[in-house]
Amino acid sequence: MDAGPVVELRAVNKVYGNGVPTPVLFDIDLAVAKGEFVSIVGASGSGKTTLLNLMGLLDSPTSGRILLNGEDTARLDEDARARLRLQYLGFIFQFHYLLPQFSVLENVLIPRRIMGRQAEREQRERAVELLERVGLGNRLHYRPGQISGGQQQRVAVVRAFINEPALVLADEPTGNLDSANSKAVFALMREISRTLGTAFILVSHDEALASQADRIVPLVDGRIVH
Amino acid sequence: MFDRFAWSVALRNLRYNLGKTLLMMGVVAVSVTLIIFLGALIGGLQRRLIASVTGAIPHVVVRQPERVPLSVADAAAAPDGPLYAGERIRLERQKRKIEDWPFWLARLQRFDPDVAAVSPVVEGQGFMSRGARRQGVAVVGVIPERHNAVVDIQSKLVTGRFFGLNAGEVALGYKLADEFSLRLGDKIRLVSIEGNAGTYTVAGIFDSGFAAVDGGTIYLTLRDGQTLFGVGTAVTSIGLKLGDIFGADAMARRLALQVPYETRSWMEDNQSLLSGLRAQSQSSNLIVGFTILGAGFGIASMLIMSVMSQLREIGILKAMGANRRQITAVFAVEGMLLSLLGGAAGAVQGSALCLWLAGFRTTASATGRLVETFPVDLGPALILGSIAIAVGIGFLASLYPAWRAARINPIDVIRGA
Repeated sequence: MDAGPVVELRAVNKVYGNGVPTPVLFDIDLAVAKGEFVSIVGASGSGKTTLLNLMGLLDSPTSGRILLNGEDTARLDEDARARLRLQYLGFIFQFHYLLPQFSVLENVLIPRRIMGRQAEREQRERAVELLERVGLGNRLHYRPGQISGGQQQRVAVVRAFINEPALVLADEPTGNLDSANSKAVFALMREISRTLGTAFILVSHDEALASQADRIVPLVDGRIVH
Repeated sequence: MFDRFAWSVALRNLRYNLGKTLLMMGVVAVSVTLIIFLGALIGGLQRRLIASVTGAIPHVVVRQPERVPLSVADAAAAPDGPLYAGERIRLERQKRKIEDWPFWLARLQRFDPDVAAVSPVVEGQGFMSRGARRQGVAVVGVIPERHNAVVDIQSKLVTGRFFGLNAGEVALGYKLADEFSLRLGDKIRLVSIEGNAGTYTVAGIFDSGFAAVDGGTIYLTLRDGQTLFGVGTAVTSIGLKLGDIFGADAMARRLALQVPYETRSWMEDNQSLLSGLRAQSQSSNLIVGFTILGAGFGIASMLIMSVMSQLREIGILKAMGANRRQITAVFAVEGMLLSLLGGAAGAVQGSALCLWLAGFRTTASATGRLVETFPVDLGPALILGSIAIAVGIGFLASLYPAWRAARINPIDVIRGA
């Protein structure tokens, strides 16, 4: 891995809709360095989530380039993007989306399982260790439905980090939690990304949380305000 | 398809929705049971029907073509030709025969590996009499040991002999024997249509299971037959038995190009039976087809429900990096496992049903021989075939749900929960 930015957006525009084009993002230039903790703040409708989806290779820009670890992603097909996501990215969403038919430990290891049997074995101990660190050591074999909302989201956080991604993208990760759980989950994300040297991009309404980032990127009507 | 991730998710889905899984397996099992049951029963019935037709006759008969003499009207139309009325009569009365049969017998035997046996036959109509009783019968002169390979009489004997029949001895059906109150050693008189007559000793009585044969056929030696019908050293036909009875038509056509005689297969004489059997097969295929279709739609709708209830979970799997092939495989594996397990259960159930039916016996004819009430043809081909059909249907049924799951776009389903 080179020393350049983990993800870099160059003059990115995003327009939705075919009939009536609705521009959402305008000329976005943004680079996130390795290990950096960045929060994107802005009113609802300012394009935060769209920006996050673009960086997460879940969506494609209308124009401009997105480089992940220095690799241009413009020409990649869906499966190639899936491979890059598997390799370099982790996701945390407002809802945990754990698979109800798998145990807590298995859910954490799902990204490894997608990679293959060997990959899953390698990380099993680390998964247990991480779950113990977030206080779920005695819940490894519970089903997601048997633990609380705060615990579920902590499992989702551990899952996002299990592949040791270069970048974790979190979209309102605490939006569904009470303030005590919010703080705990935020602290957790912060701590793990610092330990692993993972770049972290947070989208949140919660200004108290967002303000604790290394860098705050304000987004107003689809433009980054400097 | 052998993606471990896809297999584990599919297996978990099936186990997690155990009720639905068992229900769908049940639906598949019922259709596979039906395929096996109908297939075995109809196969068995057809085997029995065909055996009842072909059991007492050669599969292919080689004989002199029938001579159709000119009618007087046709002859008169020929310009200035003389009309030989006497010759016409002689032609009509002449027995159709094969003089050079030993040569053709050897040729026919070697003609094709599927020719299982050949037998020279002298055949004709005659009258049997004893005391004041008289009855028209079919008289068949054969070499018993040879003919038995074409039409089995020896194992159907009620009493006496068939093999080793001597000159002046006959074997006849038990019904005929009953009507004339005949026992072994009794004498009967036979008169052929040609007017030759002889006295014979009853040496064997058989129950072939074919009413026409048991009530009206008399076997004697080839030599006695030749004498009775006045054909000298000739025979009237050569009978063939084939390995594949449904190859009889094709075999008869091929033989027709090789021998200077008429060749006729049992199939030509039983067209209506064969078309009846075909109609029966088609209607059972139709029933089976609709059942399979129903099972297929059942699996498809269950999988679609499974996809729809897991849109977000599938979305997050895709966001995490599962590719389209892996997501497709999850549902294809689910569909095939459902139908494989259901199919296996149905195969066990269907086979058990068939074996149970096959155990029934009924007493047949006057001799008190036991025959199966329901003829059942249950073979590994039918069992494995029906499971294969089920798995194929499960796979086809999973295609749409799998495709639907694979094209889920994470950003469409993850936001706005």
